[in-house]
Amino acid sequence: MIIVTRPHITDAELDAIREAVERAGLQTHLSRGEHRTIVGCIGDERMLAEVGLATLAGVESVIPVLKPYRQVAREFRADPTIVVVGEGAGAAIGGNELAVIAGPCSVEGREMLFSAAASVRAAGATLLRGGAYKPRSSPYAFRGLGEEALALLAEVRAETGLPIVTEVMDTRQVDVVAEHADMLQIGARNMQNFALLSAVGDVRRPVLLKRGLSGTIEELLLAAEYILARGNDQVVLCERGIRTFETATRNTLDVGAIPVLKRETHLPVIVDPSHAGGKAWLVAPLSFAAIAAGADGLMIEVHPTPSTARSDAEQSLTPDEFTNVMTRLRAFAAAAGRTMAPHNVLHVNRPPDAVGAGAS
Amino acid sequence: MNQQRDAKGAAAIEALRTRIEKTDDALLALLQRRMTLARGIGRAKLVAGLPVLDPAREARVVRRVATRARELGMPAEEVRSLFWSVIALCRSEQIHARMSAARAAK
Repeated sequence: MIIVTRPHITDAELDAIREAVERAGLQTHLSRGEHRTIVGCIGDERMLAEVGLATLAGVESVIPVLKPYRQVAREFRADPTIVVVGEGAGAAIGGNELAVIAGPCSVEGREMLFSAAASVRAAGATLLRGGAYKPRSSPYAFRGLGEEALALLAEVRAETGLPIVTEVMDTRQVDVVAEHADMLQIGARNMQNFALLSAVGDVRRPVLLKRGLSGTIEELLLAAEYILARGNDQVVLCERGIRTFETATRNTLDVGAIPVLKRETHLPVIVDPSHAGGKAWLVAPLSFAAIAAGADGLMIEVHPTPSTARSDAEQSLTPDEFTNVMTRLRAFAAAAGRTMAPHNVLHVNRPPDAVGAGAS
Repeated sequence: MNQQRDAKGAAAIEALRTRIEKTDDALLALLQRRMTLARGIGRAKLVAGLPVLDPAREARVVRRVATRARELGMPAEEVRSLFWSVIALCRSEQIHARMSAARAAK
């Protein structure tokens, strides 16, 4: 249930509304927007039947939520969520400027990572991706460098200023990955790993949640709800293609999911054209389609020399191909009313992490 | 020059961390006191035949600290969620106290 308040409601009135709901044993979530403030209620709504919420001072309307998800629902927030990744100004996902996460599928070594990072930054990427732990269909395939890769990612962040996105596969890895990375990725194969979703919900790091190969939109939103239910509302959804009868592409990019998600949820939505198409030459057209359909950003695999890549070689772009996609993307971004980070801008290196009272 | 500054900075951080740890100890002692009080309430509620869960009282406690936090210039939302955790902790203490009291009465 959602309580929409009158404009200019006072703190005391809000406190009274929340106490009335919490007395009935429900939780409240406050969302202050530019024009209105919303109190979201979670719990057994039947308990509110006697409360007479609509008569409380400051209440404009009381709206039931008829969807199985609550906190991710568009109605639950006054404004769309903007997820900020990294220290300082960081990189925003969900604002007017498109977010572009680029980098190698997996971190294979220092040189390739630094080279990939420098080239994607020069082309206008706003975040760096790189796998440390890789879920592979075969147990004998290359499964990542683990903690060594995490340390390299942290080094390259210090060098380039690009916030780091990397996958966490197991609840036991959450703490170590959160220590090094700015954003935790839940891969498609783990979309419904509810223990893992709860674990990243307990960490105060933004989460990139990828849609499962056979996950419906509702299942994706419910997976995100698990993370929000634990108190972490910094979640970005990622459409990465779904499994269909078509074999010409690795997966089928569900372009329709983008506007549906944007309508259903306040969370940002990005698209991974690399995994959707599975071919380097498909990345450009799928990227353009994603932005035209309203996506807030892209996640693209870039490798300095794709032919030597230890995973996903076929779908990785060379740095030159990536620069080309980014240049051509500008026209589509402009047509969709979005801006892009300028390319070839030298980011000033961030100072070492400021020490706050909470850091220890 | 830079090295000197780094060393000075590191020493200042170390000193502040020591003070943070002392503050954490004080917070723990206060939490312990609150849990002891909660156990007392748990036993009293058993005698009075009242249930442990009292959502109206919990909501009142949270509202009070949120108002107080705002007066102190602290972020009220974060303080609210912290206190919901404190309440959950003390509620489970009440339940334990009640269970052992009930067992002792047998």
